Amino acid sequence: MRWSPLARKEARTVATSKGIWLLAVLLVPWGYRPSYVGWDGLGANITAGYVQLAGTGLLPLGVLLLSYQSIVGERTAGSLKFTLGLPLTRADVLLGTVVGRTVGIAGPVTLSFLVLAGIGLLDHGAFDPLPFLGVVLVTLLYVGVLVSIAVSVSAMVERTVTAAGAVFGLVFLPFIVFWSRLATVVFSAATGTAVNPFEPPASGPLFLLHRLNPGGAYHVVSNWVLGVGNSANTYSTVLSELQPQVSTNALVVEATFQPGAVPGYLHESVGLLVLLAWLVVPLGLARLVFSRGDVA
Amino acid sequence: MTDAVIETEGLTKRYGSTVAVDDLDLTVIGDEIYGFLGPNGAGKSTTIGMVMDYVRPTAGRVRVLGGDPRADAVEIHDRLGILPDRYDLYDGHTARQHLDFVIDTKRASDAPEQLLARVGLDDSSDQAVDTFSQGMEQRLALAMALVGDPELLVLDEPFTGLDPHGVRTVREIVHEENDRGAAVFFSSHVLGQVELVCDRVGILHHGRLVAQGTVDELRERTGVGADASIEEVFVSITDETAATDGRATEGR
Repeated sequence: MRWSPLARKEARTVATSKGIWLLAVLLVPWGYRPSYVGWDGLGANITAGYVQLAGTGLLPLGVLLLSYQSIVGERTAGSLKFTLGLPLTRADVLLGTVVGRTVGIAGPVTLSFLVLAGIGLLDHGAFDPLPFLGVVLVTLLYVGVLVSIAVSVSAMVERTVTAAGAVFGLVFLPFIVFWSRLATVVFSAATGTAVNPFEPPASGPLFLLHRLNPGGAYHVVSNWVLGVGNSANTYSTVLSELQPQVSTNALVVEATFQPGAVPGYLHESVGLLVLLAWLVVPLGLARLVFSRGDVA
Repeated sequence: MTDAVIETEGLTKRYGSTVAVDDLDLTVIGDEIYGFLGPNGAGKSTTIGMVMDYVRPTAGRVRVLGGDPRADAVEIHDRLGILPDRYDLYDGHTARQHLDFVIDTKRASDAPEQLLARVGLDDSSDQAVDTFSQGMEQRLALAMALVGDPELLVLDEPFTGLDPHGVRTVREIVHEENDRGAAVFFSSHVLGQVELVCDRVGILHHGRLVAQGTVDELRERTGVGADASIEEVFVSITDETAATDGRATEGR
């Protein structure tokens, strides 16, 4: 591939930055959150759940912060003139940047997951390696999705501060942090029915809306791997919701729908398609914008 | 080889109401060293930007090595070396890593050490560029342009930030590359060097090509005298254009 030297350079740029190693260190205490409900539901496999918690909140923030400057930073500094002076199309530059940054982040982050595995092993004993590996792979896919979104934003703006504002205000806050609240509001406004998330209606569209953001889709797929239940919330919230006499604001398919009455589009595998869409669609849009017009 | 390596027809670039390059007709042929001169802000870098497909023309046409800068970017950039103006190197990377990146992307077989020796950076190959002086940055950028024995070298203000030794190195390399068969297109507002390097020059003023030819031809044309310096030729031509512009504006 013409862009592989560029990907290597980008991977080195990230992997030698202080930010990625700070993130890798912080992910360990962030993910390590033992809970009774988690132990009751998963036993020693709670260790794989730690990876999912590490992938919630802190990881998306860190990945977005490590990626939003990629293209626009080179553009304003002028090093993009070297990159674009090479035999590469602008689409090659986007692709090489996404792949390289993803690899550069995935390496150190995988080390954090191995440390979590070691801690879990000492704390809770041997766990099943397959779900652990599965959650790690889904989390690394999620890293790729987030890098792709941030690099796409970076390629579509002309100033670094615009990229920072867009990644935080138009991606992180609405699509990662506040999505479930937004989804409820949007659903209520569109259908005219008030939704109490503690007793949600068995509405397929409402549940689908809750899992259309990258974070929700990531939880759906990783919960599927963990086998805790079909939901866009974290595995520990799902386990709590499914306990008798306990009600949370999590939307869990098994807690609301009668068996056999679940719409096909709420199947967990659809979460993978949603993740893939978030990987491809922003990048496609960025390719259109970035290939058009002046870049230096 | 005397085919045109750069050919523009009516090439125009506007930014809003500002005209950066105005109806430019320019031809650089395959065995020459062409000096593209003009005061700061004359439109030299914008023209080079269109040659490199960094920016897109508002009107007109440009062909580089027989291809379209946009559609054939990969093929063109494979055969061309660029030293851009107002660039930044890749922070945190060493000189050798910069060259390896270019060599690998171009699938060339150059040895980074030889390139660094040519530009006088032999001792700094494993040093991160963050510590480089402006002159060292310029030398490294020139080495990156030389990768893969390009048929066309595009050098935007190659003398920027260089001490007299550096200036001589650039001059020698330009001649070596030209002897090897490469065409060289360089822009400069440092006129003293131009006569020592160029076969032909074009003078750009307010986005328009106001004179073109050998330095001797321009001397003759302006009537400044056979022993006039190129500065005098340059000032005479740009003043003359400014006066014509002024009259044209008054006449309206």
